[in-house]
Amino acid sequence: MSQSETVILGTSAVIERLLRGEFICQTRDEDGWRALQHPATRERIETYLNEINRTLVVVGEAEVFFCGYLTLGDNERKVISQQFKEVCQALSPLVDWLVLVQESTGQDAPLTQGAAVRLTELQGRIEDTPAFREQLDKLSRYRLFGSTSTTVDAQLKLVFKRLVELGYLIKPNPEKQIFIATGKLDYLYDVIRFIDETEGLSLEAQAETATQKDLL
Amino acid sequence: MSSHLHQAGVKLLKQLGRHADLIMDAYQQGSVTEENHDAAVIEKLRKSGILWRPEPEQELRLKRSIRALLEEALSDERNRQIDANVGSAMATIKTLADHYKEARHEVNFAAAEAYLADLNEHVFSFADGLRYAIRVLWSRINNEFGYVGTINAKIRENELAQSQVTELLNGLEMLHFSELAEIAGDIRELRRLLVTSLQETLSDCTAELSVVQGRLLELLGRFRQIRGRTRLLKGWQLHRDLHPDYQVSDHVSHKQIFKLFNRAEGLLAPAAVDIHNQSHEAELLEMVAHIKSIVRLPNIEANNRDFNVEFVLADSEDFDIPHNELKYAVDEYFCAVIDSGISQSALDYHQQRQFDWDYEAWLYQVICGYEGLSIEHKQYFELEPIGEPHPIYTGNFIIRDVELGLA
Repeated sequence: MSQSETVILGTSAVIERLLRGEFICQTRDEDGWRALQHPATRERIETYLNEINRTLVVVGEAEVFFCGYLTLGDNERKVISQQFKEVCQALSPLVDWLVLVQESTGQDAPLTQGAAVRLTELQGRIEDTPAFREQLDKLSRYRLFGSTSTTVDAQLKLVFKRLVELGYLIKPNPEKQIFIATGKLDYLYDVIRFIDETEGLSLEAQAETATQKDLL
Repeated sequence: MSSHLHQAGVKLLKQLGRHADLIMDAYQQGSVTEENHDAAVIEKLRKSGILWRPEPEQELRLKRSIRALLEEALSDERNRQIDANVGSAMATIKTLADHYKEARHEVNFAAAEAYLADLNEHVFSFADGLRYAIRVLWSRINNEFGYVGTINAKIRENELAQSQVTELLNGLEMLHFSELAEIAGDIRELRRLLVTSLQETLSDCTAELSVVQGRLLELLGRFRQIRGRTRLLKGWQLHRDLHPDYQVSDHVSHKQIFKLFNRAEGLLAPAAVDIHNQSHEAELLEMVAHIKSIVRLPNIEANNRDFNVEFVLADSEDFDIPHNELKYAVDEYFCAVIDSGISQSALDYHQQRQFDWDYEAWLYQVICGYEGLSIEHKQYFELEPIGEPHPIYTGNFIIRDVELGLA
């Protein structure tokens, strides 16, 4: 009895998040994400969403969930087209940011879901290296972040604040400057990969030849 | 001869112990800097085959066997050497088995015994070698090739490990048990050694190697994915720099939309009051009217106290309690009660004397005056509240008046 109650409670919270247009991933909402792993829960949510022309969409290996349209009319297409434009505009700033974080922290792997970024550490490294400072300055001026400041401190803080607002990062402890990447970043990789594959850009090959030239 | 061998071995081991520091330095640095050490010691180590010079101009290095001994004993993760040469090990085993059979046939039991011991040693060391190889592979997998820095290096290390696994598996395939069984014939010792024991080892190792292979492939996949993502990002930047006018094509104008882009608009927006909507004005005003503002501290004073205080050291000033008419009146009331000796209500006294203070203030001051008396004085008086319980909320008593009398 009590178990079924918690399931129902869980479903309503999940539906609410989905209808708010949020992404549900393991990092952001572990309970919701676990609930969605259950075929029965998933089906119940799907039935509910179908009534209002919505459907549950799951993408990527990390299994990120969000809410999509069941059938597409003109209005729905307009929304999707608008959102696609927004995603495309966000691609370059986010890619630049991801590369900056990866290079300045000297990590092998770019940020993915669950990875932590320590802001103070990052700031120290960027402040110490003119090239990173320049990259940060450039990327913070994108419209997505819209910084007008000239200090590393203010630029970084604004960029991270925006990324939290956009749902790419979460800040689990408001007292600490530690951020954790969410599944929305994994979604971003999927988008880039999709564009790469459908447009035949062969981005990976380009990067590889470039690094080989660097080695020579 | 055997005692001579024993002595030589002990001598060698002692030498290793005596020069342990030098040998460990050589192990860690890869070579020995001759200037830092006694030439005689180095010469001695060189003669006993612990150090060697690969080429005339090169520095002295540790012999492979010593290095292998240390690597294994210290479970050094940098150790990547795996002896996958199953073929030669098998050839030795077969040869020794033949020797043994011949000695047995010639009824030379002493020689047969020696050959059997030797054969035992070889079979066990072969099995141990295999197990050791697997252990080395596992330790490399378990720390995910942590001894190299970059993803590319990890991928190369992984590929090396995979080729070693393949070689080991190929080598194990060369073992034919029918052949071994034939060699062993009907000799019990040989059968036990060559067939039972080897077969067990072999099936264990083959099973484990296939698990190792699976894990290596999995790791490789992950490394490639990580590298793929890094390259994807880098590639995006490169592509954008090379084609500044590049625009992402409109992938959502097709009839079928890829599910990645099928994102519905948020239905539930975060709630906020629209203060510009005039039709809401009445409701909003009503709500605002219901908001109770509880101010426990006068704010202005608090601000002044916090910010506008000058700290001055000065003599403390004399102060006196201001003259309070009300307080005197209450004292007089008490005296009147004492004088008359009759209980009198405070409000009656108030009316009698025609005070112009508020009734409530008067009553409070009377109660305060009573409560403020010292215990010895207090016991002469009795203060009786006059009033009624609250009509709705039980437990509340509304005081309308108080009556003071002598106890």
